[in-house]
Amino acid sequence: MTLLDPGMDLTLRPMRYPAFFDRFKDAIKNTWTVEEVDLHTDLADLEKLSPAERHLISRLVAFFATGDTIVANNLVLNLYQHVNSPEGRLYLSRQLFEEAVHVQFYLNLLDTYVPDEAERYEAFAAIENIPSIRRKAEFCFKWIDSIFELRELRTREDRKAFLLNLICFAACIEGLFFYGAFAYVYFLRSRGVLQGLASGTNWVFRDESMHMAFAFDVVEVVRREEPDLFDDEMTRQVTEMLAEAVDCEVQFAEDLLGQGISGLSLGDMREYLQHVADRRLATLGIAPKYGSKNPFAFMELQDVQELSNFFERRVSAYQVGVTGTVGFDEDF
Amino acid sequence: MTVTQDKAIVPEQRRQVMQVRKRNGDLEPVDVNKIVKAVERWVGDLDEVDPLRVATKTISGLYDGATTAELDKLSIQTAAELIGEEPQYSRLAARLLAAYVDKEVRGQGVASFSQSIRYAYQNGLIGDETAAFVARNARKLDDAVDPDGDRRFEYFGLRTVADRYLLKHPETRLVVETPQYWLLRVACGLSTNPGEAIAFYRLMSSLAYLPSSPTLFNSGTRHTQMSSCFLVDSPRDELDSIYERYHQVAKLSKFSGGIGISWSRIRGRGALIRGTNGRSNGIVPFLKTLDAGVAAVNQGGRRKGAACVYLEPWHPDIEEFLELRDNTGEESRRTHNLNLANWIPDEFMRRVEADGDWSLIDPSDAPELPDLFGEAFDEAYRAAEKKAVRTVKARDLYGRMMRTLAQTGNGWMTFKDRSNALSNQTGGPGSTIHLSNLCTEILEVNSDDETAVCNLGSINLAGHLTADGTGIDWEKLRATVRTAVVFLDRVIDINYYPSQQAAASNPRWRPVGLGLMGLQDAFFAQRLPFDSAGARELSTRVQEEILLTALETSAGLAAEFGAHPAFAETRAAHGDLHPDLWGATPTQPERWAALRETVAAHGLRNSLLVAIAPTATIASIAGCYECIEPQVSNLFKRETMSGEFLQINTYLVRGLKARGRWTPEIRERIKRADGSVQDITELPADVRELFRTAWELPQRALIDLAAARAPYIDQSQSLNLFMSAPTIGKLSSMYLYAWKAGLKTTYYLRSRPATRIQQATVAVTPAVTPITPIAPISLVSDADAEALACSLENPESCEACQ
Repeated sequence: MTLLDPGMDLTLRPMRYPAFFDRFKDAIKNTWTVEEVDLHTDLADLEKLSPAERHLISRLVAFFATGDTIVANNLVLNLYQHVNSPEGRLYLSRQLFEEAVHVQFYLNLLDTYVPDEAERYEAFAAIENIPSIRRKAEFCFKWIDSIFELRELRTREDRKAFLLNLICFAACIEGLFFYGAFAYVYFLRSRGVLQGLASGTNWVFRDESMHMAFAFDVVEVVRREEPDLFDDEMTRQVTEMLAEAVDCEVQFAEDLLGQGISGLSLGDMREYLQHVADRRLATLGIAPKYGSKNPFAFMELQDVQELSNFFERRVSAYQVGVTGTVGFDEDF
Repeated sequence: MTVTQDKAIVPEQRRQVMQVRKRNGDLEPVDVNKIVKAVERWVGDLDEVDPLRVATKTISGLYDGATTAELDKLSIQTAAELIGEEPQYSRLAARLLAAYVDKEVRGQGVASFSQSIRYAYQNGLIGDETAAFVARNARKLDDAVDPDGDRRFEYFGLRTVADRYLLKHPETRLVVETPQYWLLRVACGLSTNPGEAIAFYRLMSSLAYLPSSPTLFNSGTRHTQMSSCFLVDSPRDELDSIYERYHQVAKLSKFSGGIGISWSRIRGRGALIRGTNGRSNGIVPFLKTLDAGVAAVNQGGRRKGAACVYLEPWHPDIEEFLELRDNTGEESRRTHNLNLANWIPDEFMRRVEADGDWSLIDPSDAPELPDLFGEAFDEAYRAAEKKAVRTVKARDLYGRMMRTLAQTGNGWMTFKDRSNALSNQTGGPGSTIHLSNLCTEILEVNSDDETAVCNLGSINLAGHLTADGTGIDWEKLRATVRTAVVFLDRVIDINYYPSQQAAASNPRWRPVGLGLMGLQDAFFAQRLPFDSAGARELSTRVQEEILLTALETSAGLAAEFGAHPAFAETRAAHGDLHPDLWGATPTQPERWAALRETVAAHGLRNSLLVAIAPTATIASIAGCYECIEPQVSNLFKRETMSGEFLQINTYLVRGLKARGRWTPEIRERIKRADGSVQDITELPADVRELFRTAWELPQRALIDLAAARAPYIDQSQSLNLFMSAPTIGKLSSMYLYAWKAGLKTTYYLRSRPATRIQQATVAVTPAVTPITPIAPISLVSDADAEALACSLENPESCEACQ
């Protein structure tokens, strides 16, 4: 039996994919709640920002307001159905919970940032009102719809379609749209403003990194089990899909950066997005399309350990779900 | 050599259209050569920086129509972003920033120190006395300003200073003093003549010593609240007293103080309230109110208020207390802003060890318990057990404490009996230490109407190495201690006390807390691994020198100004100095003997002198490692209110450069390994051993070092412990060991997130080791959490690679 064979496997022992179960357990250790994020200093910061910066932020949170819901929908409607492994489905259930927390976080953020009710409604309707966000959403819907009618993955073509959907959500949506957003937040964070947004988003991205890693795990399992699915056509389709995602994200950047932000030029942003797309291709073992380098040194800040001064920020580097019993002879 | 060799390329068409707006409103084309020249001015001795690289990267980040001020700021930011590749960019960025600040100050017509004080005084920022002092001595003070002083700062330090320490104009928010003016202002605020002001300024400007942040914020200003720590006794078990404490905490917090407050006297949930014949809701709802109160106070926009609540483990609400920081459960019973600490009597630890029972007793049934320690406590506690509300297994409660430490880092383990028995202040009847402070290094007696206060400052040991870096300059160290003690003592008289209870305590006891930072720097310089015998010896020897010299200085001050009023109640009055309480054998017996005679003749000006604070902010200003801590990583970032900053171990970079190994490839491997060099096999084993991180050191060694220096710390030390993947078993072993080693207090348990955000700037490893179903190479077995931590095949979840 392979992972994509139709069915509802219920057997956890012996466990066929223990790594999925480990991802599930790790995810639990990262549990955080919206109440832990302190947004009160953000309001003061917002007033200090320039109109150009405020525009960037309002667009960004408008995207966040719907982004995670779209991912959750695809998870329920498409992924859960076809990943036929109880431990894999455990992880997906956990991911679904995390997406819900993210939605709640951005809901709370928007309610706090946008006190005016009419403006708030407009932000939540971003998909209708803001063309640059609409274009990204349409890209997502197209791929959700691509396998929506598939009840079972019987044929080779079915499975390839499923893989494209999975890769789209991992590499393009979580891996590029969210990572693009990540760069904006990190830019602001490196400038010391909007700590509430930054710390909540940091936790969101910690989760998103896991989601992406899990999806790529699934891709690799399928590659091992059914290597013939990964043919030249698939390579071409994935590369094209990423190129389209880059275009969507660049037009979003044109909107966000349209009024000029010092330290975050459109040219650098484009290069960054191309660079991220190349990284996603590399993870899938596909040749890079752009050959672009990362122009943002501030992105390096997220790759190294944090050392919070507890006087200034709440430390986020703790775990939940610690195990063991009292003893006095253990090594430390 | 810089690590990245590729040139930053500016697309031709962008370079042509790009324009900047000058201060007069005119547009002019961006000229790369002009930026290069502006950067080159500050390069000087920095032979590894490339001004063209800074200039081109700056332009690449610019948008058309940006202002020249934005351009200046961006070039500073751009230089700072290159620090991770080449540490010299930190100096360059600092110099560019200093020039920027200087321009801002001069732009307001301020050309000298005395002008800056006058200008700030006119704007209501400077106190009358300091303004008059500077006006009287203007020429001498103006001449004392070191024009090269700012060159000693690293970028992170200067950025912090510029954003938060320099006085700002109340309306324009422009800074009105340069970093050197600031330090001289701090010195003048504490001085009686220009000579001593200049000497103190030079010491601070050399970064060999810095007072704590409240002194650096407020000295010389109109609100001279310069103390760091306040220790508030538990409210009495009545509503008025509880609300009085909220008020007191708010006032203390407003002026930059960190608060420790005990809550052990307040009755627990279910206890009878006679006045209304109702049942108490316990301590949690009151702590929830305290939590909100602390969060509401913003310390002058510079940092949030912070407090730590102490509770003794016999309190009936102890289990709910331990859950206050959990991130699940009922939100009305969670306090996300409060820190938590356990104030533990030895009797509890003994019962844990013996696997005995532990009685939870309501304070309304045994109101004397918080005031007792040692045998008197043991007796009273055993007697009160008859009235126990509940009995639990001591180990179950201890296990819950460990869980709280692992899951929140909070619930610090501090030991009541050791803290009291080994304190100079508990020599008389009725004097009890009821808690420690926000950072567990201060141990002072207090009571309902006396709130203990402490002023802090820390010596930067990295600034006291001999010229060749291999030894300690002991004479310089002694001189620094003498100056530091005089000025810490001075704070007591000049200080503004935000509460009546604080004003009542400090003049009587006159405690100060002289600390240490940069111990790790000294170990690196002398190539001593943190867990070596040599490191332990050096740390102990340094600490003895500091306490001895501090006591000598305080005895000298007593000869001049008299002993502190409560001297007769101290153990020193009976001839017992701190090392005697420990039964320690000092290395300098003659000096200790001479000191004893001086103390017998004149007493001491200060009841307590030494405490090792965490130095989070001032260590970064001084550019050294924090207090007595090992490094946490060879490559890490600091997050502060001023933004995020990359930090790199410059000692390691120097070592790598000497071997020709500071290459982009090695750097990336260090980053990928989360700041560890243990897999950099190009480095010899002894070098890798030296550059282990806190996660890679045996924690036993940290405890042993702390215990060895403890006889020379008359208060305590903020001792963090580190464990990547904590388990209850490991933690319970570790904290029992710490208690047995005789430590008075411990601080945070640092652990690490279970997984991390995907690294964005290291090369992608294609998933070459796919997961095999039911295969022997499955990444992790269910049982072994640590295997996960170290699994190289699983870099996304790698917590450690320790």
